[in-house]
Amino acid sequence: MENREIQKILPHRYPFLLIDRILSLEPGKKAQGMKNLTEGEWFLHGHCHYPPSLILESLAQVGGIILGSKAREESPGTGFIGLFAGVSNFTWLRYPRRGEAVTLKMELSKSLAALYRFNGEVWVDREKIAGGEILLSFIKTPPPNPSA
Amino acid sequence: MKKPEDEKKGDFSVHLRYFRFRKERPRLKRKEESPIGNPGNETKRKFLAMEEIFHRLGYPYSNVLLDRIEEIEGGESLRATKMVSANEFFLAGHFPNEPIMPGVLTLEGMIQSALVLIHESFARGILKVFLRRVDRVRFKRAILPGDRLEFSVKVTAKEERIWKFHGRAQVGEETAAEADLHIQLDFRGVGFEI
Repeated sequence: MENREIQKILPHRYPFLLIDRILSLEPGKKAQGMKNLTEGEWFLHGHCHYPPSLILESLAQVGGIILGSKAREESPGTGFIGLFAGVSNFTWLRYPRRGEAVTLKMELSKSLAALYRFNGEVWVDREKIAGGEILLSFIKTPPPNPSA
Repeated sequence: MKKPEDEKKGDFSVHLRYFRFRKERPRLKRKEESPIGNPGNETKRKFLAMEEIFHRLGYPYSNVLLDRIEEIEGGESLRATKMVSANEFFLAGHFPNEPIMPGVLTLEGMIQSALVLIHESFARGILKVFLRRVDRVRFKRAILPGDRLEFSVKVTAKEERIWKFHGRAQVGEETAAEADLHIQLDFRGVGFEI
C-alpha cells in the first residue's frame, strides 16, 4: 500500500503523518509498516535519533490502518474515529537513527468493545529495537446522510 | 520692523515651550515594576536553557513542550505548564480542520519534565539519559486549543540506575493523561546528588 492510499484512510497530514508505506496488510489482524528517517524531517533537525514518543505514534498509525481498512472493506463509505487510548509495558533497547528504515509490526491481540489492544514491535533490519502493547479506541460512525 | 530684543524674547518663548513639553512627559523610574508584575524572570531563563538541558542529557527532543516551570523539589517532584494554542505547527496535521493535541506529545511533555527534574538533581557531571520503559499510559481526555496543561512529575522509586516516575497531565482539575516512566541514567563522570 502506497502513501496515497494511506492518506485515504488516515486523517493525519504533514507534520504528523508518521508512516511512509505499508508492506503487508491483513485487514483486522496485522500489518507491517515502514518509515524512512531522513535529515529533512522536523524532529531530526540537527539530531540523529528518532524521539521515543513519536515511535509510539507511528505504531499507532499502523494500527489505525489495520482497523480502518477492515471497516472500509465491510462497508465502504463509513466514517470512523480512532484515538490513542494508552500504552502498557513498552520497552526500548535503542532509538532508531537517521538514515535507517524502520519496520513497524502490529498485531491485534484483543478487542474489548471499542478498545483494541495491539502487540507492537519495531525492527531495524534484523534487530528488534522496541516493543510493547498499544491500546487504540476505534468508533465507527454511520455514513453521512445524503438528505441531511 | 523687529528689534533685536524681540527676537531674543521669541527665542526664549520657544525654549519655554520646549521645557514645558519635557515637563509634561511622564518619566520612567528605573526600579518601578510594570503593573502586570514581572512574569517570572527565572522561569524564562530556564525555558531558554531547556534545549541545552536536553543536549546535556543526550535526549533527542523534538520541540520544547514546556512553557513554564512552576515548582521544583530537587530529586522529588516538578510542576510545569504548557499553554495549548491553535497556532502550533503540529496541529496543522493532527488533524486538518479538527485540531486535537496529540496524546503522544502529552506523553512527551511528561518525559521532558522528568528530564528537567533529573537535570536539576545532578548539577555536575556528565550524564546520559535513556527512556527505558513506558507503562500504564492512559489518555483520558481530548486536549483542545485553549486548554492550559499542567504536568506534574513525581519520583516513585530510585533503583541503581533507573529512576521511576509517575507523571500526570491535568487540564484544570481533570486528569487528561497518566503515565509511568522508567528512565535510565548513565554517569560518565563524577556526578552527585544535591
